[in-house]
Amino acid sequence: MDKKTVTTISYLSRLKIDGEKEEKIIKDLDNIIGFVDKLNDVDTSNIEPLTNPLEKTAKTRKDEVTAKNLKKELLEVAPSANEDFFLVPRVVE
Amino acid sequence: MSWETVIGLEIHAQLSTKSKLFSGSSTEFGAESNTHVDLVDMGLPGVLPVANKEAFYKAIRFGLATGAEINQVSSFDRKNYFYPDLPKGYQITQMTKPIVEKGSIKVLTDEGEKVINITRAHLEEDAGKSIHDLFEGETGVDLNRAGTPLLEIVSEPEISNAKEAVAYFKAIRQLVTFLDICDGNMAQGSMRCDVNVSIKKADDKELGTRAELKNINSFKFIEKAINYEIERQIRLMENGESVVQETRLYDSEKNETRSMRSKEEANDYRYFPCPDLLPVVISDNELQEIKDNLPELPEEKENRYISEIGLEQSEAKIISSSKTMANMFEEASSRTDDINLVAKWLVGDVSALLNKDNIEIDESNLSPENFGKLIERISDNTISGKIAKSVLEEVWENGSDVDEIIQTKGLVQIQDESLLEDIAKKVIDSNDDQVTAYKSGKDKLFSFFVGQVMKETQGKANPKSVNEILKKLLK
Repeated sequence: MDKKTVTTISYLSRLKIDGEKEEKIIKDLDNIIGFVDKLNDVDTSNIEPLTNPLEKTAKTRKDEVTAKNLKKELLEVAPSANEDFFLVPRVVE
Repeated sequence: MSWETVIGLEIHAQLSTKSKLFSGSSTEFGAESNTHVDLVDMGLPGVLPVANKEAFYKAIRFGLATGAEINQVSSFDRKNYFYPDLPKGYQITQMTKPIVEKGSIKVLTDEGEKVINITRAHLEEDAGKSIHDLFEGETGVDLNRAGTPLLEIVSEPEISNAKEAVAYFKAIRQLVTFLDICDGNMAQGSMRCDVNVSIKKADDKELGTRAELKNINSFKFIEKAINYEIERQIRLMENGESVVQETRLYDSEKNETRSMRSKEEANDYRYFPCPDLLPVVISDNELQEIKDNLPELPEEKENRYISEIGLEQSEAKIISSSKTMANMFEEASSRTDDINLVAKWLVGDVSALLNKDNIEIDESNLSPENFGKLIERISDNTISGKIAKSVLEEVWENGSDVDEIIQTKGLVQIQDESLLEDIAKKVIDSNDDQVTAYKSGKDKLFSFFVGQVMKETQGKANPKSVNEILKKLLK
């Protein structure tokens, strides 16, 4: 684990890491990954990847509209909104 | 130096389900903002998505129609990225086990028929919509579209030029509309596509570095964007520079592609199995039922029109080229015994108008019902073929009802034989010279008299009656 990786991961997950904590986090992550890395010792080449630990299959829905219009309630609990839209700081492509 | 182009398409087709992929919200287009959003679409804590079975059935129809493998056990993964119109911070998609794999479709190109292989077609949810230009310094978000089911259809990189890419897209669009799994409406964004373009020297085995073109939503722009991009890449290579693997945005106003570097900064989606969703299983019975109820496909329609109805192959091809065209044919055929009349009008006048305006039949103002009426009125002798042409042109302009045009403009064909006879007599009486010439053997002049009667009746006379009356009078 190096500084560059930590910077990339923190950007991808939108988590801000203070400069002074960076060293400690690198060390922690090294420990965690080192621990989990033991799993790589097991030969899994002939094993199907596990998609879910519950050995069940999904219940599904019929194609029916069951939802109510929650516009007012949802916009009300948003951090920022006007009467029609959720609002966020401007993102420009 | 000669360069070869390699193109692959990712087509997103919005599946025409009533409700979303993982919630009971409506998928209606054009609704008031944020009225079709529920807690699951919002990604609020504690909610669980439940898959809509109908989306699977529709995807399977596509798979069966393209001779693909159907994965009766398929699962969902998360594709992680942050964008304001993606409330959960990840998109649920099918990365490892897509519902459909390894299909193919026949495409008609300039060089003849070509088979394009389809790598996979998987289910995923659409994002919401960001509105950038309405609010000062802020972006508005409408989540009505968030969670709408999409079928992403990924082709193999086997397409060799822009025209072929368009032909492939058209073939897919024709298929999904015939299968009734997507309305194919490009203006409403029901079908969109990303294009991967790269170039290589003719004898190179390895593919060149590709650029991905985004934001393309019309046949015309696909062709232009690809051609622009090919030229750009050739220019780079011939100047000794190299193509960068990146996402580029097509700007239809400037007809150029531009780098979207912002999105490239960290193109790492960290896919992993979605722990909220269990694998979805399709039983043998379900699969069989979908197979048994698969709608008639374009090629089958074409063959049936030829073998059962007796159309020429060229006619059958045009008529089965789109679902709307086929609907017109079938609607009109149910209103007359004269199938050839229907075929003649579709292949003739209607196709000519389409070519003139350079549009697809479903972009026109002509509805199958209105076309059916038109044929019925010709067939029952209410209007003459000539008048029908002008009625069609008016419908083409403004979509008015055929019967209304006939009534308000007084276009009903003159059936009254004695009235026609009076008019014919008048024509004969006032054209002595022509009558003499005709009687002395100038047979060709017959059409002159027909034309005069038609002129007098403003085209409303039944040509068959006019012929008979004139023959009688000119004996």
